[in-house]
Amino acid sequence: MFYRLSGVHHANYVSDSRIFKVPADRNLAIFVFLFGLAAPFLLPSLYLNSYMLPWLIWTAAALGLNLVTGWAGQLHLGYAAVMAVGAYSAIHAARFGVPWEFALIIGGLASSVIGSLFAFAALRVKGLYLALTTLAMQFVMDWVLTHSPAISGGSHASLQSPTLALLGQDITSDTGYYYVAFGWCLLVTIFMLNLKRTGLGRALVAVREKDFAAAILGVNSFYYKILAFAASSFIAGVSGALLVATFFFLAAPEQFSVAVSIQVLAMVIVGGLGSIIGSYLGVALILLVPGLVNGIVAGGSQSLGMQINVETLAHIPNAVYGALIVIILLIEPLGLGKLYGNIRDYLMVWPFDQLRK
Amino acid sequence: MRQLTKVLTVISMMGGLTAGAQVLAEPFKVGVCYDLSKAYTFATPQVSQAALDLAKLINKKGGIGGEPVEVIVRDHGNEPQRGIECYSKLSREGVFVFDTLSTPVSLAILPRAMADGRVLMQSLVGRGDAVDGTVFDWVYPVGPTYWGQAANDVAYIKQLHDGDMSDVKVGFVYFDYPFGQEPIEILQTLSEKEGFELDLYPVPLPGSDQAGVWSKVRRDKPDHLIVWMLGGAHVVASKEMQRNRIPMEKYISVNWLNEVDIANIGNEAAIGLKRGTNVVGGPDVALRQEIMAELYDNGEGSGPLEKTEDVFYNTGLAMYSIVFEAARRAAETDGLPITAVSYKAALETLEDYDANGLMAPITVTADDHGGGGKTRIEMWDGESWVPQTDWISEYSDVVWDVVKESSSKYGE
Repeated sequence: MFYRLSGVHHANYVSDSRIFKVPADRNLAIFVFLFGLAAPFLLPSLYLNSYMLPWLIWTAAALGLNLVTGWAGQLHLGYAAVMAVGAYSAIHAARFGVPWEFALIIGGLASSVIGSLFAFAALRVKGLYLALTTLAMQFVMDWVLTHSPAISGGSHASLQSPTLALLGQDITSDTGYYYVAFGWCLLVTIFMLNLKRTGLGRALVAVREKDFAAAILGVNSFYYKILAFAASSFIAGVSGALLVATFFFLAAPEQFSVAVSIQVLAMVIVGGLGSIIGSYLGVALILLVPGLVNGIVAGGSQSLGMQINVETLAHIPNAVYGALIVIILLIEPLGLGKLYGNIRDYLMVWPFDQLRK
Repeated sequence: MRQLTKVLTVISMMGGLTAGAQVLAEPFKVGVCYDLSKAYTFATPQVSQAALDLAKLINKKGGIGGEPVEVIVRDHGNEPQRGIECYSKLSREGVFVFDTLSTPVSLAILPRAMADGRVLMQSLVGRGDAVDGTVFDWVYPVGPTYWGQAANDVAYIKQLHDGDMSDVKVGFVYFDYPFGQEPIEILQTLSEKEGFELDLYPVPLPGSDQAGVWSKVRRDKPDHLIVWMLGGAHVVASKEMQRNRIPMEKYISVNWLNEVDIANIGNEAAIGLKRGTNVVGGPDVALRQEIMAELYDNGEGSGPLEKTEDVFYNTGLAMYSIVFEAARRAAETDGLPITAVSYKAALETLEDYDANGLMAPITVTADDHGGGGKTRIEMWDGESWVPQTDWISEYSDVVWDVVKESSSKYGE
């Protein structure tokens, strides 16, 4: 009923390889897009720049990680380090006087080079060994950042980002920042949606399922793994640079620490490997829920007039948040994206599936 | 049913009225966005408890300018984006004085506070060059910077050697990340100036394995050790020092060493250990005793009693005495409601303020937001901390050179 399938026939390859095969999906996507476009006029600025903006940028970053982990099947524990490379190179480039458009691309390319260079060495090993090697990259990057004032910006290790300007326009308002984040996230989402239906996407999936089986099919698995690392690192680099340019306004090593790497990986896993909508939902859960639960618990205890120790008050949201992750993964190990998929599949034929019962 | 609706309407109207009344009596609010669950938990519970207690005490005495004060404590888990969320949320609720007690979060909030015109108190954390009021209008790191603190430690060592440091060897043991690396520059400058030898001993995070560091210290035999580490790392260090037979007297810690660490090192084993500090330690300070009499003896304390016996509780009292004293002055000069501008002006009138003997006297000016950066060295004698120096602020020209050099890069 909600997803009307009547009249939807795919008679040729072009029609069958559409992004949205069911009109309802397309309509939903259009609705979400319009909402995103209108958000600055609908939402108070607090929600816009404290929740929506980081959510969109982190979603773009998580989608990048999803490319390498969800599509190509390579566990990556040093994603924040790659973001740091992009952020620092872009900011240094912008401080040097390079226009932001190019600075962002420089950041992306620098990440790409470092990320895939590392992958070159790392891809000689697989699975858990690869995970540990990428973790090593994270530690190398942490060390480099805390020990080279030239990169990290003096003894306080904080590097200020110049004012963001795109297409000759200085961007300083909340709305402006939001649209930049929105635009980037949209771009990455469209790329990922299309990835599914290209040869590249299918090759990546083949590599993920079994790399030597893919090799027998004529897919050069090493090449595609490197390609996945390079593409995902590019996305990471630009996302990292935009995160600093539109949200933090200065880069510090803690923003790209190992904890952040784990967090992004958690976003992808809780969201669902290889799921685009899952990345959106996963980021919302990992990034926004702690703050929201914190607010709810604090507000609740205040309105109920309970005298709770501040420390306890801080730990309740953490417990709730942890429990939430466990519960979600227990209900659906494939993540929030699959959970959404289940609901969609159920509604796809509802209420007609009830007739048979 | 209609009756019920009526009752509900009346209740909701009353609710509306009280809400309206609250808006009228806008209290002076402090946004305390702290890390109560991750990296800074060695100090944040005591400091926030001190803030809450102090606010209660002030309210009991009639508030500021007749209005109550409010301390809003929120957890940010040391994550910059949650710190920003806390800042944005509270600043829209009319809070204009913030403290984060976390370097990463303070760094993340700083550009926003500067742009929005909100007062960012960042005692003991964040970028040290923010004491330069000519660059950082809205940031008040009242208290010593790590640079100033290290310089005062050197001044103390110089005093021990009767002003001649030419054959003195000073070891600097530090966490190998920005917190620990900060004083290196100033120590190197001073080593050239005073002619002492400086050896650097980086300790890898999280500081639980220091065996290599201390055997190197044993070989080099420095006369004094300036130590920039936190919490449990002090305990590990003390064990390694005993193993290497390095006397505790050589150890001069940064201010982050408290009674819990002493207990973990062992009361006896810690005898002779020194720390730099900007507050008077121990439970005997006047303000704490007043809080005991007014709140804890009546069962109105904001947390467990044993936390108030910690030096970080005194640190918290010192930090928030400054916050509320400035609010009181702002209310006195410019009347209510206190605004960010009047508050900032009041902060800059603080002169030799020591919160009734609780801390090093501070003098905040438009140029110096650090308040002078006085500290003293205390020694643990097995029961209490014995001051080894007066409140001192030495080598301020050298410190300010470093401050200016660093702050001039901001905004480039």
